[in-house]
Amino acid sequence: MKIKILVLTIFYFIGSFNLSYAANSEKVDQISKNLRCLICQGQSVYDSQSDFALSMKILIQNKIDEGKNDEQIYDFLKSKYGEWIVYDPEINKNTVLLWVLPLILFVFGGILILRKVSIK
Amino acid sequence: MLNQIGNYSLYIALLSSIIIIIQSPILLNRNNINISGRIFSLISIQSLMIIISFIALIIGFIISDFSNETVYNNSHTSKPFFYKISGTWGNHEGSLLLWLLVLSIFLLIFTITSKNLSNKYRILTLFFQEIIILGFLLFILFTSNPFMSLFPIPNEGSGLNPILQDPALAIHPPILYLGYVGTSIIFSSSLAALISGSVNKSWAKHIKNWVLVSWIFLSIGILLGSIWAYYELGWGGFWFWDPVENVSLMPWFCLTALFHTILILEKREMFHSWAVILSITTFSLSMSGTFLVRSGILNSIHTFANDPSRGVFILCFLFILITLSIFIYFFYQNKIKNNFTKTHIVSKETAVLVNNLFMMFFLSVVLIGTVYPIFLEVVNNDKISVGPPFYHKLIVPFLIPFLIFMAIGPNLNWIKDKTNKINLQQLLFFILSIIISFIFLKRVGISYLFSLPLFIASFFLFFITIKDFSVKKTNLSQKISHFGFSLFILSVLVNGVLAKEYSSNMKVGDERKFLNKTIKFESLKVNESKNYQSLEANFKISDKKNSINLKPEVRVYDQPQTITSEADIKSTLYSDNFLVFNILKNDGFYNVRYQIKPFMIWIWISIILISFGGILSIVKKNG
Repeated sequence: MKIKILVLTIFYFIGSFNLSYAANSEKVDQISKNLRCLICQGQSVYDSQSDFALSMKILIQNKIDEGKNDEQIYDFLKSKYGEWIVYDPEINKNTVLLWVLPLILFVFGGILILRKVSIK
Repeated sequence: MLNQIGNYSLYIALLSSIIIIIQSPILLNRNNINISGRIFSLISIQSLMIIISFIALIIGFIISDFSNETVYNNSHTSKPFFYKISGTWGNHEGSLLLWLLVLSIFLLIFTITSKNLSNKYRILTLFFQEIIILGFLLFILFTSNPFMSLFPIPNEGSGLNPILQDPALAIHPPILYLGYVGTSIIFSSSLAALISGSVNKSWAKHIKNWVLVSWIFLSIGILLGSIWAYYELGWGGFWFWDPVENVSLMPWFCLTALFHTILILEKREMFHSWAVILSITTFSLSMSGTFLVRSGILNSIHTFANDPSRGVFILCFLFILITLSIFIYFFYQNKIKNNFTKTHIVSKETAVLVNNLFMMFFLSVVLIGTVYPIFLEVVNNDKISVGPPFYHKLIVPFLIPFLIFMAIGPNLNWIKDKTNKINLQQLLFFILSIIISFIFLKRVGISYLFSLPLFIASFFLFFITIKDFSVKKTNLSQKISHFGFSLFILSVLVNGVLAKEYSSNMKVGDERKFLNKTIKFESLKVNESKNYQSLEANFKISDKKNSINLKPEVRVYDQPQTITSEADIKSTLYSDNFLVFNILKNDGFYNVRYQIKPFMIWIWISIILISFGGILSIVKKNG
């Protein structure tokens, strides 16, 4: 019985380790897909095999192992390499138009159409 | 010798262009003159000259005439024959000559096929088209002449970028250009129709074919580019929201909107001004696309020109054309018939307006996402990247209502449909979509449940478009295109959710387990080819039932020295097996990336279906 429990616990630990490992490497993929490979031409860190991208992936893995969450990792990278590295620009005074302009156009167009149709 | 032939024929073409531009206003005032006379022969001469110069360039590439600078820069004697030819347009100068060639041939076709239309309209179209041709001729002759001579004549050329030596990419530019340049005819003719006061049913009927032709070529051109990116860039994706891809997508959105609007104009004599505005916008987008790509201001894998003077020229030219068209629009706007009546909210007309609204929204997302970083950098020197997450976040939420509208819209009646009737059939399909999406996503993994609405909407559209094949009301070409679109969205979604990827560093003899499969690195051999050496790996992927062998390559081209990795892909109707490997610095180890991509082939098939609907529509009408 004790042996059974022991084996089970060991399996459980191996299992959970595997799981968390898998989740971690998936997380690296997820984050690196959102990063520009700075020395490549229009490639993400995830897609690139350059030295820069490889060391970047190791860096992200290390940060995850340190227990940093996504936001902290992005912030760290942005402070080190600048806004240019992320493919997903955050909303600030520089980028507010980028995010809002298409939406304004949609609303504007919608109003135009509403004025041209009759409900009855 | 070839250089002289090319140069002189371009100058003759320039001369004919100037003569036509000067003569057409004179001819315009003489009402009963038929343009099949002198102007027609001038256009024929012009096309002939441009064809001759293009052939001269092709011959230069085939016989490796290195006294030509373009050939020297982009070719090499050891290159395979096929890529010597495709090298003609695989560079800046040659690709512009191709633009010009298509421009003049399209004009010739227009002149021949528009004989039963009014003279004024035809001459004005010729006039505007010749202005565009003149602009391109000047641009080619003075900033990007493909016939510059080199002396002393070098013995060997510097080669074509190996990444471009590929069958899909060899025919990708010409097809895409046919689409881009087709929009020039739409532009010229819409301005002509505006001035001659003939924006009406018969104009719509006439220009519809050109809209369709451009749209078909653009769709297939984009498809070829995506297929190429899929297997050649080795990342396993097919769309990267790369600026140059975006540039081809923008006129596509615009053309799709224009086509639907033209249909309404033809059937119901509505939305005249909007059709003209869309025609002008479509061409402006195609031109800006050329400007953005050619000027080299985009940070992109496609950029192969980097000369500011060229960019400035196109920018000025574009500015002149756009100003001219805006000016003409406001000056002649009052000539447009204004028999505007409000459309009912539940009618086919409103459905088309809604389609246009969504198309314009998608267009604006892509446009703003592409040019915003450029402007920001100019204005305050901040560099930002706009990539896939941005586009997904803005497009996906709008895709959901769009798909539902697309399912309902085409089944509505003209003028006014019944509002109080709840369509039981549609409701049933909707409930069915909810159930199927839920079961599907639950089986895939609970973390995907947030995309439930998107799946419901696309399954709904999918079912409705299938059901529509049994309804007689709409035409077959529309059904095929719409079904193709629903299949496209569904395949992309399923592919995105179910794709599996494994990446590892392996050496020969290694074995790895992935899901229920075993990946074995069996062997590695070196091959010699005409202009490259390749490292060919052999991987065996096996599960309990069967096994397949995948043989990706790493190629080392010598002229110019470049390493490319060629993925090996085995496609079935259910899924693609995709394997690519790269050389690592550590001895003996290679980075191996294996992907299972379900329903990948259906993405291509669906785009072919979408385009096929368009082809069918042209064939049916003329047959």
